[in-house]
Amino acid sequence: MPLEAFKTSKSLSLGVELELQLIGLSDFDLVAASPDMFELLKRQTFPGTVTPEVTESMIEIASDVHTEYLPLLAQLGKMRDALVRAGELLNIGISGGGTHPFQVWSERRIFKKPRFKEVSMLYGYLSKQFTIFGQHIHVGCADADEALFLLHALNRYVPHFIALSASSPFVQGHDTLFNSARLNSVFAFPLSGRAPFMLRWNDFEHKYFAKMEHTGVVKSMKDFYWDIRPKPEYGTIELRVCDTPLSVERAAALACYLQALSKYLLERNEADPVEDDYLVYNYNRFQACRFGLDGTVVHPKSYEQISLREDILSTLRRIQPHAEALACSAALEHIYRTAHEGSDASYLRREYVQRGSVEGMVDSALQRFRQ
Amino acid sequence: MIELAQLFRDMAWPIAILIAWFAGEYAYQWIKLPRISTYAVVGFVLAPTQIGLLPQTQAPMLLLANIAFGLMLFECGYRINLRWLRANPWLAASSLTESALTFVAVYIIASWFGLSLANALLLATLSMATSPATILRIINEQRSAGQVTERVLHLAALNCVLSVLAFKIVVGFVVLQTSGSLWQATYSSLIVLVMSLLLGAIAGALIPALLRLTKRTGQDCTLAFTIAVIGIVALAHSLKLSPILTALMFGLSARHHRIVLATSQRGFGALGDLLSILLFVFIASSLEWRHVTAGVGLGFAIIMARQIAKIGGITLFAHLSGISLRKGVLIGVASTPLSAFVILVLEQTRYLGISLVDQLSSLAAAALSIEIFGPILVQRALVWANEVPDRKEF
Repeated sequence: MPLEAFKTSKSLSLGVELELQLIGLSDFDLVAASPDMFELLKRQTFPGTVTPEVTESMIEIASDVHTEYLPLLAQLGKMRDALVRAGELLNIGISGGGTHPFQVWSERRIFKKPRFKEVSMLYGYLSKQFTIFGQHIHVGCADADEALFLLHALNRYVPHFIALSASSPFVQGHDTLFNSARLNSVFAFPLSGRAPFMLRWNDFEHKYFAKMEHTGVVKSMKDFYWDIRPKPEYGTIELRVCDTPLSVERAAALACYLQALSKYLLERNEADPVEDDYLVYNYNRFQACRFGLDGTVVHPKSYEQISLREDILSTLRRIQPHAEALACSAALEHIYRTAHEGSDASYLRREYVQRGSVEGMVDSALQRFRQ
Repeated sequence: MIELAQLFRDMAWPIAILIAWFAGEYAYQWIKLPRISTYAVVGFVLAPTQIGLLPQTQAPMLLLANIAFGLMLFECGYRINLRWLRANPWLAASSLTESALTFVAVYIIASWFGLSLANALLLATLSMATSPATILRIINEQRSAGQVTERVLHLAALNCVLSVLAFKIVVGFVVLQTSGSLWQATYSSLIVLVMSLLLGAIAGALIPALLRLTKRTGQDCTLAFTIAVIGIVALAHSLKLSPILTALMFGLSARHHRIVLATSQRGFGALGDLLSILLFVFIASSLEWRHVTAGVGLGFAIIMARQIAKIGGITLFAHLSGISLRKGVLIGVASTPLSAFVILVLEQTRYLGISLVDQLSSLAAAALSIEIFGPILVQRALVWANEVPDRKEF
């Protein structure tokens, strides 16, 4: 199947997808509850889109296309409330967070849908290890070349999104010392990582995708698990590195941070991206996963070492006018506070110490999502 | 020279457990028969009144069985989320309705079969309860999860409590009638109830506090809870309190002090498995063949009435409480197992000095068939509800 044509969409429009945890309130473990949730949710119209995910203890919500912060936040809030209400009737808690802190992967159950079963047979335990929860942000692009430019221009900002959204410090009951342990699971997949450096859609289509398809390794864009990937059928690029934050407020703020940043980059305020930018990419990405906002990254052009927190704060200053033009200053305000007060990962670690158990930590995450 | 008769007497229980374990595993591999169904068959066949491998019930065995039951009730209580009842009052409504309907239905049938008022009432109270032990063993064995799983467990715990409450009140009433002593009547009902609950609540606050003191909160607390359950069940047993209520209350109260069993130790691990063999063999071995054949009519009338009442009561509120009618019916089907404590309670009333045992023995037929077929129905209900993982799944 050849690559489909890149649809045009409104430049800088936004869409947010959140993968959420379904938690049994009896023992705070993940619970295979998505079939029961869908049974109940279909009784009323849902204020957005809700779909099953690969294992039955995950559920995914998606917003409509938005251009501004407040309507996006309002819709995410409505979807959250609908899910929380349904969950209450079924003894199921809904939670953000990139990983569930103590779930045992072998206990997970694959959702009964042919594609999921196929994926599970192909990837074996990886697909159950893949019970991780991310936020995907779509940014609309006027054309395909703009999409590829933006995708690569964003490369140096990927660590920002990892550190700001980090909410997966624990895996299988233990502190991993990472702030986003979730991304390590994504890295296990053969087609993960960065997209190949091409700035023309024509090149991407014929010199890369067609060749890859010819090798038989991939069939569609769905088979790539890149950090940022183009999504031709929506006319967007999709940023996939974020952990699902503990609150929808943070999810909306991250989306609008990306929106303002994209506007800034599309107006060519920085030197154009080049292949060599990627020399430091994996190192920076690791720093963000491991140390979060306290990480140190290497600037891809000047090679100077900068604190990730400082880098975020100075970026916020640079893009402030663009945020005002997009009516999303409130979102940047939220990001500013996050950079100072710490990410959800530090919040979860504090709760663990205070509550004395991983179950207590899950309980705190549940409360945070409801607020 | 070794005396063979003595040897057999000494080895009776170890041999019975070995046979039950092997038969249980074999039947599970062969036709996926729930293990506890096999244990019941083995227990009944080896019982003193049948083949006679097992000796007449002795007090230590009763205590052990109580401990086994106590561990399961503790775990059950530990998984109950009382806040759910507040968030979803229709669930509470369906619990009260199914219990009340069962009580009325069984009472009418028992009276119709000519039982005395007291016996009909006792039978009706005992029939309200679904066995949390059976439900929990099957859930753990099948690793099921979903609304049928959650709800049948919550409903079982609730109707078990309701049943013990009602039972103790009727016992008080019977004692008052037979002895005429108001004190003795109050003691054997209300005071026993209150003290049982209190004991469980105290333990539920004390043990988590002790665990905090030893800084073991983050780790596996299975051992600590096992020891505590053994202790309070023995205490309740010795004080002639209700070990059932005490253990359930202990679980509930410990849960709200929020330290959770490690998932790997669901069902108390190997110890839980061992004690469940012992419990289910023991229960079935206390049934006699002649009672089984004698009470067949009444027994099966009760099973049918109880089943209809439970399915009706639960399905009535299914839609309102947020599930499909189909799942409502399946919860009713999974509520089949009569509580094992029917028999344990009967055993204990002997010590209380009331001889209800022989009069209520017509339950034997119902009890036996439900010990064997109940687990199969629970398993089927969970499978039909799609709540059991696919065996072919990686």
